[in-house]
Amino acid sequence: MTIIGTSVRRKEASSKVTGRARYTNDMNVPGTWHALFVPARQAHAKIVGIHTADARKVAGVQTILTAGDLAPLLTGDVTEDRPPLAKDKVRYWGEPVALIVARDESAAQKAASLIKVRYRPLAVVNSIQDALKANAPLVHDNIGSYTVATPPASPRKHSNIADEANMIKGDPDRFLKKCSVRVKVQVSLPQIDHAAIEPRIAKAEILPDGRVLIQASTQSPFEVQKQVAKYFKLNPGQIIVQVPLVGGAFGGKAAIQLELLAYLASRAVGGHTVKLVNTREADMATSPVGMGMEAEVELGATQDGMIQAAQMRFYMDIGAYTDSAPRIARAIAAQCTGPYNIEHLHTDVFSVYTNHTYTTAFRGFGHMPMTFAVERAIDELAKALDQDPLRLREQNALAPGHLTPTKARLTRSNLGHLPLCIEQMRRVIRWNQAAVEPIDAHRVRATGVAAFWKTSSSPPNAISGAITLMNSDGSVNLNIGAVEFGPATKTTAAQILAEQLRIPIDQVFVHEDVNTAVDPEHWKTVASLSTYMVGRAVMDAADDMVRQLKSIAAAILRCSPDDLDYGGEKIFVRDDPTIALRYQDLALGYKYPEGDSIGGQIMGRGRFMIRHLNLLDQQTGHGRPGPAWTVGVQAVEVEYHRITHQYRILKAATVLDAGQVINPKAAAGQVMGGMNMGLGIASREAVHYDAQGQFLSNQFRSYRVMRVGEQAEQYLVEFVETPQVDSPFGARPLGEHGVLAIGAALANALSRAANIPLNVLPLTPEVIWRAKGGKAYGAL
Amino acid sequence: MRSLTRPEEVTLTINNEPREVIIYPGETLLYTLRGDALGLTGAKPGCENGDCGACTVLIDNIPTKSCLMLTVEVEDHSITTVEGLKHAPIQEAFLSQSAFQCGYCTSGFLMVGHALSLQGAADQGRLVEWLRSNICRCTSYQEICDAVQSVVRSEVE
Amino acid sequence: MAPFNLLYYRPDTVDQALDLFRILSKEQHHPAFYGGGTEILTRVRVQDARFDAVIDLKAIPEVLVHREYQGSAEFGAGLRLTHVANRNLWPLLTATADRVADHTVRSQITLGGNLLSALPYREAILPFLMSDSAEAKVATIGGMRTHRVRDRYDQTFKLKPGDFLVSLVVDGHEIQGLAFKSRKMTRIDWIDYPLVTIALIRRRNGGIRAAFSGWAGFPFVSSRVDKILSNGRRSPSDRAKDAVEHMPMPALSDTHGSRAYREFVTQYTLAGMLEELEEET
Repeated sequence: MTIIGTSVRRKEASSKVTGRARYTNDMNVPGTWHALFVPARQAHAKIVGIHTADARKVAGVQTILTAGDLAPLLTGDVTEDRPPLAKDKVRYWGEPVALIVARDESAAQKAASLIKVRYRPLAVVNSIQDALKANAPLVHDNIGSYTVATPPASPRKHSNIADEANMIKGDPDRFLKKCSVRVKVQVSLPQIDHAAIEPRIAKAEILPDGRVLIQASTQSPFEVQKQVAKYFKLNPGQIIVQVPLVGGAFGGKAAIQLELLAYLASRAVGGHTVKLVNTREADMATSPVGMGMEAEVELGATQDGMIQAAQMRFYMDIGAYTDSAPRIARAIAAQCTGPYNIEHLHTDVFSVYTNHTYTTAFRGFGHMPMTFAVERAIDELAKALDQDPLRLREQNALAPGHLTPTKARLTRSNLGHLPLCIEQMRRVIRWNQAAVEPIDAHRVRATGVAAFWKTSSSPPNAISGAITLMNSDGSVNLNIGAVEFGPATKTTAAQILAEQLRIPIDQVFVHEDVNTAVDPEHWKTVASLSTYMVGRAVMDAADDMVRQLKSIAAAILRCSPDDLDYGGEKIFVRDDPTIALRYQDLALGYKYPEGDSIGGQIMGRGRFMIRHLNLLDQQTGHGRPGPAWTVGVQAVEVEYHRITHQYRILKAATVLDAGQVINPKAAAGQVMGGMNMGLGIASREAVHYDAQGQFLSNQFRSYRVMRVGEQAEQYLVEFVETPQVDSPFGARPLGEHGVLAIGAALANALSRAANIPLNVLPLTPEVIWRAKGGKAYGAL
Repeated sequence: MRSLTRPEEVTLTINNEPREVIIYPGETLLYTLRGDALGLTGAKPGCENGDCGACTVLIDNIPTKSCLMLTVEVEDHSITTVEGLKHAPIQEAFLSQSAFQCGYCTSGFLMVGHALSLQGAADQGRLVEWLRSNICRCTSYQEICDAVQSVVRSEVE
Repeated sequence: MAPFNLLYYRPDTVDQALDLFRILSKEQHHPAFYGGGTEILTRVRVQDARFDAVIDLKAIPEVLVHREYQGSAEFGAGLRLTHVANRNLWPLLTATADRVADHTVRSQITLGGNLLSALPYREAILPFLMSDSAEAKVATIGGMRTHRVRDRYDQTFKLKPGDFLVSLVVDGHEIQGLAFKSRKMTRIDWIDYPLVTIALIRRRNGGIRAAFSGWAGFPFVSSRVDKILSNGRRSPSDRAKDAVEHMPMPALSDTHGSRAYREFVTQYTLAGMLEELEEET
C-alpha cells in the first residue's frame, strides 16, 4: 500500500487557489432569467390577500406565482407537510409567499417591493414550551391529513407534535430507583444555522423535448431528481441534475427547497432557464436551519460509577415543517446513550412544530445536541461520584459483545475502540483529572472532556456506484455520484482507485461535478458515508477493470487469467514479469502487430448497497440503524475569568478511531474544522427570534460565527486505528465527527471552572453570568 | 468632476491590464468583476453585506470588499483579483498547509494573505486583525493562519 | 447585488458638491453624500434607503485633509479609518476608530461616514464628544461654517439637508499627553457591535471624562457621570457603580445583551479602566 495513508493533495486544489474552481453561481448562461421569492413578514398569519397587479406591470417581469396558481402540492422528505409557496397561511417569518420571474435581478427586486401581502396575524408558537401548552395554537391545523411518504413517522393529531420516537430497553423504572447515585440534567440549545459561505442556489430549464435540467448547490442530486419527478408527475429519467463544486454544506444542502421553486419558475415561463439564488438573509431565515433542543437526561449509577439505567426526553424545535426530523429523532433515540453501555433505558424524542424556520439535517444528524445532553449528564455524574471523568467514561464504554440501545450487536469491527482513544487523550492533553488550576487571583484553567459515537443513519437500501473508463495512456477517469463540498470526497475515491489499480494517483482523473444523467446513483452525500459507500463501489469497479485487463491479456499472452498479476501499470505473468502488457496497450483494445484487434475500452462498473440495516421497530425502537459506529473523545482546555466570565479556549483536542486513515492531512483538517465549528456553535451561535417570531439573526452581523483569533489557540488531533473490516482498507467515517462532543467538552470545562452546571447554549459570558446568579458587579 | 449617470464604457486596470467594460452607476465592483464581460468569478458573493470577505480583492494592494464598493469609484486604481495571482507564495502556502476545504472563501483569504505578504513584516496581532475580516466555515483557521504566517515570515527573511 | 438606479457624481470642489445637492433636490431626486459607501450600499441592498443619487466627496481636497497645523490636528471627513489609525495623530481617536467593523471594512469606511452613521454606534465620535476644543467644519451654501462638535450634537451630529461635514479640528493640547483608555466590550466576538464602548480621558486638572457607545441608541457623554468618575477620593469600583446608576438613560436590552448584563459589563469595565488610568498618571 502506498497511496492509502498518504496526504495526497486534493484533486481540485490548484483550481481552488487560483479562483478557477467553479461553483453553481459561477456558470451563468447569458439570457438566464431571475427568480425571486417574496418572504413572509409574519411568523404565523392567515394570508388574506396577495396583491401582485402593480408588480406585474414592472418592465421585465415575466410572471408572478402564488400558491393559488399551483396545483395543490405538499412536499417533505418524510411527512409531506410543506407547500413550496405558503398556502392559506404562513408558518414562519421568511417563508416564501410569492415567486417572481423577471428578465433580470433588478426587475425582480422592483416587483418584489410592489407585492403587498395582507395578513391576519395568528398567535405565534414561539418556543417548544408554547407548542406543548394545553390549547396551544396549532402550527398545522390538520396533521392527520398529511401523507407520511417515507415512514416511520408518528404525527400526533390536533397537536404540535410532528413525530414521536420511543426507545425502551430493559426495565429502566425499576433499575433507576435502585441506583444509589442519580443525576438529572436539563439542557437547552437554540436553533443554529449551517452558514455555508456559498448561499444555496438552483437553476432550472425545461427543454422542448420535456427534459428538465437542474443545476444546484445540493448534497442530494439523485433525491432532487426523484422528488421533482414525483411532485410534478414526470419520469425521473427526464430530469437531469448537475452539481458543480459546492461551497460548504454541513447538512443544510441535503434538504430540497430552491430546486422545486426553480422548476416551478421555469415551468411558468415556458421552460426558459431560470436562476434562483438565496441572499444571505434568505439563506438563513427562509432555507432550513439546524434544530433547537430542550432535553432532560437522568442517569443512575452504582457507587463505583457503573451506569445502570437512564431516562431521557428530547424535544426538538423543528420549526414549521417536518423535513427530516423523524429520521433525526430516530438517530438520536438509537444512539441516545452515547458510547456507554446502559442496560436499562427509556428515551422519548419529540419533534415539535413551532413558528420558527423549519429545520433539516445539520452536521452530526442530531448527535451533536444529543451528545451535549448526555455528556453534560455524564460529567455531572462524575462530579457526584467525585470520580475522574475520563475514567468514568472508560469504565462504562461500550465494547464488542454489548448491545446498542436498539439491541444491535456490537463487534470489534462495527465499533471503534473508545478505551484506546481515552488512553491516548490522557497523553495528548496531559490529563490532570479535571482539576481546576488557579492562574492568578481571578483566573483559572480547567479542562473538560466528552466522548461521542455516531453511526450513519442511512435508509436500509442506500446505494452507491462507480464507473471507471481507461484512457489511451492507461490513466483512468472516475465517475461517482458523491458531491464535493469540502471533505475531499472525490480525492479519497481517487486514492482508493489508484491503490486498487496500483497506479499513481496522478493517473486517476475524477470528475468534479455530479450529473445524474451520466454518474451512477449515490444516495446522498451525507452522513460521512462516502468513503465507505463510494469506496466500496470504487473497489468493485477496480476489480472489474482488473478482470477485464486480465481476461484480454490472458488471450494475448496465451495463458490463464489466473497466471497474471498486475502492478506498475502493467499486466504480467506472475512467475515471469518480463512477459507483460502495459495498461495503455490494452486500454482501448489490443491491436496485434498484424492489425487484428481484440477487446475494447476497459471500463469498470462498481456497485455497493448497504446491507443488514432495518427500520427501527415503532414501539420498542429496536433494530439496526447503521453499518458501524465511529467513536472518539474530545477535550477542551479553557482559561476562565471568575469575575467577568470571559474565557479563552486554549486547547481543543480530538482522539478518534479512524479505522484506517486514508489521507492524514485531509482527515485532520476535517476534524479540526469540525472542532472549530462545534466550539463556535457552543460559544456564540444562536438563531434569535423576537416576541412576534421574527427571525433576527439573518446576517453574519447578527448570527455570529467564529473568526480568526477566536478559535482555540491549539487544535490537536490524533487517530487510533482499529479497522472496520467491511470498509475500504478498514476506514471509518469521520467527516462530521469533530463537531459532535466538543461543545459538551467546552461546557464541561466551563462548568468546572465556574463551579456551576452550564447547560444552556451558547455559552456566552452573559449566559454564564446568569447561571452564576446574574448579580450586579460589586454585589459578589 | 467625474459623473456617471447612465451605463458607460470605462477602463479598469485589473491584474495589471487595462480592461474596457460597460458599467452602470449603481454597480458594485463584485458585480462588474463577475459579469459576463470580465468573467472573474474568483471573487465570491457570500453575504454582499461586507461581513464574510469572500469577495475580497485588492485595490492598490489594500484588501477591499468588492461588494461594498461601486465600480465607478475604482476607475483610476489598480485592482488585483485572485486570477491575478501568478504563483504567488500565498497560493503555494495554502496548498501545502491544506488551508481550505470547500474553497468558497479561499479567494478572499488568499487576497488578504497576499496583501499581508506584500507589506513585508507583520506581527501576529496584525496578521490576526487582517484575517478577522473574513469567514471560513470549513477549516479551523489554524491552517489559514499557518499558511499566511509562512509567507509573511519569508518576506521578512 | 444587481445594479440599482443611481446617479453618481464625484465633484472636485466643495461648491460643486453643494450645488449638485441643491440641483438634484430641485429635480426631485433624492441625493445623498457618499463617503466609503459601506453603509449606503448595505442599506440599498435591503431596501432601507431612499435615494437615487450620490455625491461622492472623496475627490474634494478639503475632505481629505489630514494634518497637524498651527498647534491643531485636522481630520478630513473623507479619511478612511485605517488611514486615521496608521498616521495616529490622535491616539485616542486611533483607539476608538480602530475597533469599528473589521480591518478590511475600516479601509473603506470614512471618518465622516462613521460619525454620521445611521447605526447607533459611531464609535469614532467619542473622542470628539469628550473634547472641549473639537470643531467641525461644515460646508453650507452660505460658506464654510465652524461649529463646536458638542454644540451641534444631540444624539447625532446635526447637519441641515444639503450641508456636509468637511473636517474636524482638535487643539493640540487635547491630543498630546492626555492619558486615555478606550475599550469595546462585545457579547463575545471581537468583530461585533458593542455591548458598550467606553472611552475615558484624564484631563490635566485630574478630572475624568467619559463617553459611551452601545449603551443606548446613540453615543453620549454626561457631565453627571464625569463628575462621579472624577471624584478621586472614592474607589474606582464605587465610582463605576455610581456612574452606572446615574447614566442619563437606561441601558439597551437586545440580542447583544440584556440591560442588566450591559450594566454589569459597563461597571466592571469602567472600574478596570479607571484603575489603569489612575495607576498610569
